[in-house]
Amino acid sequence: MPKRKDEPGFSRRSFLKTVGASGVAAGVLGKTPGADAQTVNAVGPDAVRMTLNVNGKSLVLQLEPRVTLLDALRNRTDLTGNKRGCDRGACGACTMIVDGRTVYACSTLAIEVQGKKIRSVDGLASANGQLHPVQQAFCDKDALMCGFCTPGFIMASVGLLEKHPNATPDQIKKGLDGNICRCGTFNRIFEAVSSVKGVRRG
Amino acid sequence: MDNTQQPPAQPPANPQQPPAGGGRGAAPQGQPPGGGRGGAPQAPPVDPKYNWPSTPRTVVGTRVKRLDGPDKVTGRAKYTFDITRPGMLYGRAVRSPYPRARVVSIDFSAAERVPGFKSSLIIRDPKDPKTNVVLFQGDEIAAVAADTEEHAIDAARAVKVEYEPLPAVISVESALAGRAPEGVFPNGNVRQGQVAQNGDLEAGFKAAAHTLEQTYSTHVITHACMEAHGTVCEWEGDKLTAWVSTQGVNSARDNFANGLGIPQTNVRVICQYMGGGFGSKLQLGPEGLICARLAKQAGVPVKLTLDRKEEHLVTGNRPSAAAKIKAGVSADGVITAFDAESWGTGGAGSAAGFPLPYIYLPANRRRTHKDVFINTGLQRPMRAPGHPQGSFITEIMMDELADLVKMDPIEFRLKNLPPEAPNAMWRSYLREGAEAFGWSKRHPTGDPAPGSIKTGMGVAICTWGGGGRGPSIAHCEIASDGSVIVRVGTQDIGTGQRTVVAMVAAEALGLQTSQVTPEIGDTQYGVSGGSGGSTTAASTTPGIRIAALKALEALKEKVAPALGVTADALVAAGGRIQVKDTPSKSLSWAEACKRIGPQPITAQGDWAPGMTSATTSGVQFAEAKVDIKTGIVRVTRVLAIQDCGLVLNQLTAESQVYGGVIGSLNFALYEDRILDRRTGQMVNPNLEWYLLAGMSDIPQIDVRLKNMPERGVVGLGEPPTVPTAAAIALAVRNAIGATVRSLPLTPAKIFESLQQKA
Repeated sequence: MPKRKDEPGFSRRSFLKTVGASGVAAGVLGKTPGADAQTVNAVGPDAVRMTLNVNGKSLVLQLEPRVTLLDALRNRTDLTGNKRGCDRGACGACTMIVDGRTVYACSTLAIEVQGKKIRSVDGLASANGQLHPVQQAFCDKDALMCGFCTPGFIMASVGLLEKHPNATPDQIKKGLDGNICRCGTFNRIFEAVSSVKGVRRG
Repeated sequence: MDNTQQPPAQPPANPQQPPAGGGRGAAPQGQPPGGGRGGAPQAPPVDPKYNWPSTPRTVVGTRVKRLDGPDKVTGRAKYTFDITRPGMLYGRAVRSPYPRARVVSIDFSAAERVPGFKSSLIIRDPKDPKTNVVLFQGDEIAAVAADTEEHAIDAARAVKVEYEPLPAVISVESALAGRAPEGVFPNGNVRQGQVAQNGDLEAGFKAAAHTLEQTYSTHVITHACMEAHGTVCEWEGDKLTAWVSTQGVNSARDNFANGLGIPQTNVRVICQYMGGGFGSKLQLGPEGLICARLAKQAGVPVKLTLDRKEEHLVTGNRPSAAAKIKAGVSADGVITAFDAESWGTGGAGSAAGFPLPYIYLPANRRRTHKDVFINTGLQRPMRAPGHPQGSFITEIMMDELADLVKMDPIEFRLKNLPPEAPNAMWRSYLREGAEAFGWSKRHPTGDPAPGSIKTGMGVAICTWGGGGRGPSIAHCEIASDGSVIVRVGTQDIGTGQRTVVAMVAAEALGLQTSQVTPEIGDTQYGVSGGSGGSTTAASTTPGIRIAALKALEALKEKVAPALGVTADALVAAGGRIQVKDTPSKSLSWAEACKRIGPQPITAQGDWAPGMTSATTSGVQFAEAKVDIKTGIVRVTRVLAIQDCGLVLNQLTAESQVYGGVIGSLNFALYEDRILDRRTGQMVNPNLEWYLLAGMSDIPQIDVRLKNMPERGVVGLGEPPTVPTAAAIALAVRNAIGATVRSLPLTPAKIFESLQQKA
C-alpha cells in the first residue's frame, strides 16, 4: 500500500496516485484559508465556498479545493450527465466545455474554473427539450450503445464543430481521439458527427 | 465453453458462473448449446399461433432508433454511478497491494479520525486462518464508509494493514516449468485436464505430406467497462433496495440474498442503465455485498463504485490461452492430424478453457489441456469466452498449413470445413465475402510492393451458441386509454434490449414502437435471465410476444360485439382492430381500448421452445497495412458477414457487429494486462497505458447481416468479436511475409518475426 502523505495542503488525489509526490499539487494550490492544521491526520483544507457558472446558472457550492469540476457537479449537484470513466484524463467521458475549450473535467479542479463559462452535457439541449443537432445525430445514427461514453463524445463533438463547423474527416478523427468507447461505436459516431452541419458557437 | 473447463479447484472469493452459450464444436458433451438453464424442466413447445409472423413484418426487422437514445445523449439517463440517495455515504475498499500475503493486523484508528468517517468493516480477519490470506493484488481486506467520496478515499488510505508477504506464482511459464513456489493453490499450480481424442492420430500423421509444429498464444485482457462495477444499497428494516451496474438484475438479487442470508423476496435490484459489462457483470462481485453490509451497519444508504485501477484488478479478465500444436496436412490440403497441448491462466484458481481446434475438426485429433493458476484476479466470462483465443490459435495455423500445400487460404478452409447447414454457413459466406472484399487481388504471403508499407488480407470464421431459455416472464398491460406497458425483468446492457422489448410487443399489437412503454431493469418485473451468452433477445422475446398476443386476444373479446363479429375474426394492424379481410369494418386502437373498462387487460408470457434456435455462423475479412520500418499496424478495412437468426432491430444489430469487430481489434493490436515480472503487480491499471483504440485507429467496417427469420431468434452480441483478431493477424502475416504467433501484435513482435524470417 502506498504510504499516505499526511501533510496538509496537498490536493488532487490522482497526483498522489500517479506521481506520488504531494509537493506537486501543493505547489499548485498552496495553503487554502480554512485549512485546519490541528486535525489529526488532516488530509486537506476544509471546504471553501465556490461559485461556478454551469450551463448558464450560478451554483454556489461548499467544496474542498481538491474537488474536481467533474466530482463537484456529479456528487454535489444533480448534473450527473458527464461520466467518470478513468478519472485521469484518458477516456474523455467527463469532457465539458470551459470558455469555449473542451476540458477533461476529471482533471480540472473546480476551484480553477470559477468565473468561467462551464458547459456540461446536461445543459446542451434547449430548455424546451429540443436536442442539440449533435445529440439528434447521435440518436439518428445509433451512435451509442451502453451510452456511458456518449456525453463525453457529444461534448467533444460540439467543441470540435463549434471550432470547425465544416470539419474534415481528418479533423473529426483527430478531434475525437481523446475519447474512448468500449462498446465500439466509433464508426457511427464518425457518421453522426459528419452529418451535422452549421453548428454555431454556444 | 470448452469441455476442459472444470469448476475452480479452489472456490474463489466470487463464485464464477460458467460462461453461458458456447458454440458449435465447443459445447460440453451431451449438452445442447443454448439449452435450458441448469436443471429447469423443459417447457412445452410454443402454441404455433404465437409463432413469429411470416412476412411482412411491420416493426420487427426494421431500423428502429433506440427509445432511450434521447435520455442517453442528454445525460438524463441515470446509471448506478449517478444514483444519489438521501443521507448517502460513500464506501471504499482497502485492497492488497501484494499478489499473495497474510494479513497480520488491521488498524482503523487513523481512519476513524479522518473527517467524515462513519463506519468500517473487516473482510479478511487476521485471526481467521481460513480467510486471512489474499491471493491477488486488489483482493479485498477491509472497507470504510464516509460522508464524501474524498473522505472515503482518505479513510481507506488511513487504514493501516500489516502484511506478511508470501511467495506468489507470477508467471505461467515458471509455473509450467516447476520453478514457481508450491503450496499456493490447494491442488498445485498446474491442473492437468482430461485428454480429448478422436480418430487415429498415428495414421493421420502417416497420411500427411507436410507437418507443422508451432506454438501460438493469446494474452490476458480485462473487460475495462467504461462504467466500473458499482452499487448503491439502501435498507429499510431487513429489506434491501440495490442499484447495481449489472448484466443480471435477477442473478444479482439471488447473490445478495445468498451472500447476506436474507430471503430473495427482501431484495429489490434496479439497473435502468449500465455502462458496459462484456461478461464481467453477470455475477455480483464482492463489492456489492460489501456495499450492502456497510449500508446495514451505517443505517443509511451507501454508494460503492470502483475506480479504474480496481476495475482492472478485481472484476475479471479474459484468460490467456496457448497451444503447442503439431499438425499434418495431405498434399491435396486436408488436415490429416492435429495434436495439441494447450494451457492458459484464469488467475488465482479459475479455469482457462477454450475450444481447440476451433470449428475445423480434423478426423484424427488429440488435445490435452492444463489450467495454470497464478496470483492475479480471477477470470470472468468475456464476450464469447474462449472463442477469440481458440479462433486465433486455429486460424493462424490454418494459413501456415495452407502455405505448406500452396493453397489459397479460402480454398484450404473450404477443404476442411464441416458441411454447410443453417447454423454453419461458412462456405457460402467465404465465397460471398471473397467476392465483395476483392480477395482475388490478394497476393501470396509477403507483399512484394517496394517501400516500407506492406498491405495484406486475412480471413477468419466464427460460431456461437446463443439461443433462448426460460424462465423469462413478460407482462403486457393494455389500459382503456390505449396505453401499453410491457414489463420484463431483463436489462439493457447497451445492446438495445429496451427498444426490442417495445418492438416485439408493437409488432404483435399492430402498433408503432413508440406506442409501447417498455419497463425493464428491475426485479419487481419478474424473473428473466442474465444478459450473457448472447441469450437475452432469444430468451425474452417469445414471452413478450406471447404476453402481447394474449392481451390482444382479451381486447378482441371486448371489441368483437361492437364490430358484430366473433373475436377470432379480428386482427390488429396499422393501429387498428379490424375484421379480417374487411379493413373498412374497424376501430382505431384508442376506440377499441375504450371498451376495456377501468381494469386494464393484463397477460403474461414465458419463453417456450419453437420461437428460437441456437448457434450462429460468421466470416470476417480484414485488410491491414504494416509499416515495416516502425512495426505499426493499421487496419484499413473489415468485412463482417454474420447471421443471428431473425434480425429484430436492423439498426442496433449492426451496431453490435461494429462493436464486436472493434473489441477484437483492441484484442489484436492494443490492450494487454501487463504484470511486473518481479512483484506480480499490474503495471498499466489505467486507460492510458492499457491501450484501447481511438477514432483514428478505426477501419472502414462493412456489415452484412444475414436475416434468417425461419430460424427464430438466436442472438448476436458475441460472435462478431470472435474472428477479427485472427483475420487481422493473418492480414499482417500476408503483408509482411512473417508470422506473429502471439497476441497482441506489437511493433516489437512484428520486428522479431521479420528478423526470424530474414
